[in-house]
Amino acid sequence: MTLAEHKEIKLPTTVHDVALAPDGETVWAAGLDGMIRGVHLDSEESVLLGEHHRYASGVHALPDGETVLSAGYDGKLLWHDVVKGLCFRQVQAHDFWSWQSALSPDGKRIASVTGQYLCGDYKYEPAPEKEPTVKVFDTKTGDLSAAFSLRPPVQAVAFSRDGRHLAASNLMGETRVWDLDRGKLVSAWATGDFTGWGIIKGHYYTGGVFRVAFGPGDDLLYLVGMGSTRDPAAGNGKQLWQAYHWREGNPAKVAEASGDETGQGLMEAFAFHPTGDWFLMAGRLESGQWNAAAFDRESGGLRASHDFKGRICQALFLPGGDRCLLAGGVSQGGLKDGQFRDYGRLWLADL
Amino acid sequence: MATSSQQAADCGSPDHPMHRRRFLQGAVASGISTMSWSGLFSVPAFAEEVKRSQKHCILLWLCGGPSQFETWDPKPGTETGGPFGSIPTAIPGVHVSELMPKCASIMDQLAVIRSMKTNQREHTQAINLLNRGDNPRPPFTRPTLGSVLAQQLGQLDSAIPNFILLDPCPEGNEFKGFKAGNWAGWLGAEYAPVRVGGEFTIEDAERLAGVSQVDHEEREALRRFFSKKFENERKSAAAASYNAVYERVKGLMSCSHLFDLDRLPQKDRERYGPGAFGQHCLLARSLVEEGAPFVMVANGMPWDTHVFNHEIYQMVVPDLDNIVYQLVNDLKDRGLAENTLVVVMGEFGRTPWINVKRGRDHYPDAWSLAMAGCGIQPGAVVGSTDALGVEVTDNPFNEKNLFATIYQALGIDPYAAYELPNLPTFHRVEERADPIKEVLA
Repeated sequence: MTLAEHKEIKLPTTVHDVALAPDGETVWAAGLDGMIRGVHLDSEESVLLGEHHRYASGVHALPDGETVLSAGYDGKLLWHDVVKGLCFRQVQAHDFWSWQSALSPDGKRIASVTGQYLCGDYKYEPAPEKEPTVKVFDTKTGDLSAAFSLRPPVQAVAFSRDGRHLAASNLMGETRVWDLDRGKLVSAWATGDFTGWGIIKGHYYTGGVFRVAFGPGDDLLYLVGMGSTRDPAAGNGKQLWQAYHWREGNPAKVAEASGDETGQGLMEAFAFHPTGDWFLMAGRLESGQWNAAAFDRESGGLRASHDFKGRICQALFLPGGDRCLLAGGVSQGGLKDGQFRDYGRLWLADL
Repeated sequence: MATSSQQAADCGSPDHPMHRRRFLQGAVASGISTMSWSGLFSVPAFAEEVKRSQKHCILLWLCGGPSQFETWDPKPGTETGGPFGSIPTAIPGVHVSELMPKCASIMDQLAVIRSMKTNQREHTQAINLLNRGDNPRPPFTRPTLGSVLAQQLGQLDSAIPNFILLDPCPEGNEFKGFKAGNWAGWLGAEYAPVRVGGEFTIEDAERLAGVSQVDHEEREALRRFFSKKFENERKSAAAASYNAVYERVKGLMSCSHLFDLDRLPQKDRERYGPGAFGQHCLLARSLVEEGAPFVMVANGMPWDTHVFNHEIYQMVVPDLDNIVYQLVNDLKDRGLAENTLVVVMGEFGRTPWINVKRGRDHYPDAWSLAMAGCGIQPGAVVGSTDALGVEVTDNPFNEKNLFATIYQALGIDPYAAYELPNLPTFHRVEERADPIKEVLA
């Protein structure tokens, strides 16, 4: 198995999230400039669909093919009419950023997570939440359908494949899973493996879980991020995924990335191949060999990898499963002739 | 140790005639021993007057280099602005980061310089530059701001140290290296900081129960006599430093309780926020109230955000916002603002552009700092940067301008020459660099 770059598309700013349109050829991209753009993967032409007043952090295409939802650091959820090219609803979901959002498999619910890290004690433990940090909204009406509690900042959220459960994880590596039908917490545990308290430069926490995802059959929950660092300014934690049996009373870690096959750097993207046999993890390379790699579901071993020379924030598979789309960016760089370069990237990769 | 330049600085506020240098001059001129002079401090009214007119400086040292975009010079909605917005302040037309609502409300009490432009991009060099006010000239070591102020503002026979470094985080990469270095330079060890805070507690500062006060003082007098004799006969700098340390320990024995955070009122502790930096800034205020001329508060290098700039600043900037607000208001409420200069700065700013690690890198080309209190023009906002914050467009100032400003604000001659043996001619501020007049009251 190989993972090789097929094509690189440049966009003005780093792409935090992408969603595939029903035509399979267009993606909606949420950018650091707050813009929601439609990008045709062949022609590379792009159209502007909408705008957040801060970074756009999430974008999701509803099954109706006519509606796109987006989330942003302005704390808002926006509903966009793709046909008319306008925003027809906005909901102030949070007082702070929407760090990440997820669409339920049936497209009926969108979940968004938030929370500001504020100093909570002498050693800079995060202060308690001021508002519910995990919220679920009805995509048809925009109404809030559920709100859950988890210590801020909550950085990752995912629906289970059957749509019955919602998982979220935070800076401190605390993970919770709720039953959406009953509105109840069904699992909670914590791991310090993804979080660093700055010993070398500053006394505070960095890192945390940046992506959660349910595996095939929904029995395992995968946590993704970067291993603990001593220096918050180094970004040199281990490229890390871990899998947990979340249904157990005391969820146990059943697998994790092998230190022999990983380097250092924050991992933000995670996607299972449509076959369910393997998954892709991607992010940024600090030191090592790759910033995107395929891992075998059964063994957890590395099957293929590649360095795309940038930061990858999101990954998804195109129809057919023999090509994936990686979204992110490179360094903004300094001004050249009074302008910044385009530093957003969509990488198409062949498998 | 330093001679005044022709035109002595004058900030306009009542002078402080009882500082160490003038005391010594007075003692020599009148032939009265310094012991007799220092005895005056036992007269309560006199001591209180000295305390009242004493000038102080608190430096909130934001080591690592705080981002100007997320603090004093926001550029919201631009390619460099980041995810935080800006908010209006008490000064019409002036905005700061939305992370600083409390400072925004007291902007008419602060002075902000938005056009700092320095020439050192790496921490070690820049930390030295912004602590000493000049680039190095080996083999000579210029004293830090704290050491100069300890010498100039320090009280004779004061129990409380003249230079206190509150340092709850003992680490800090390059700052850790700086902390281990020579702070006092050619002024000598007696002007080096006493470092406390966090894990640095003052231990064993109590007189042993088995030693009476009389015995203790007699032993100290004997030690002092022989040590001074040795120092004089051998002209030993090492012995002089040794004696300076003894004098400091002697002082600390009488004031160690002042460094105990637990003695501070719980309400005050809550106001300053729970974090180590806030607690030590409150301690700094308390020490100034007790007469400390210079207190520097550091906390490692938390502002060095090459990675997770916004994720870290969502926490550290609101913490700083509250601390500056509480400190400035406290000093005003306690009648200390007029004689206490507060400086809030790091060694440089951070890049306008975002790197691939979600961070901002070092940027000395255009950065900001804030001041308040003694000798400072409240509400002054000086200098500006271009729309993206890349270049200074108006009134660039460097470290020499800054140090001249600080000295002038405190009524210290910025251009005085150091007169020390085996030392070429150095001045507190070289090249007669201008102070930043716009921020001086």
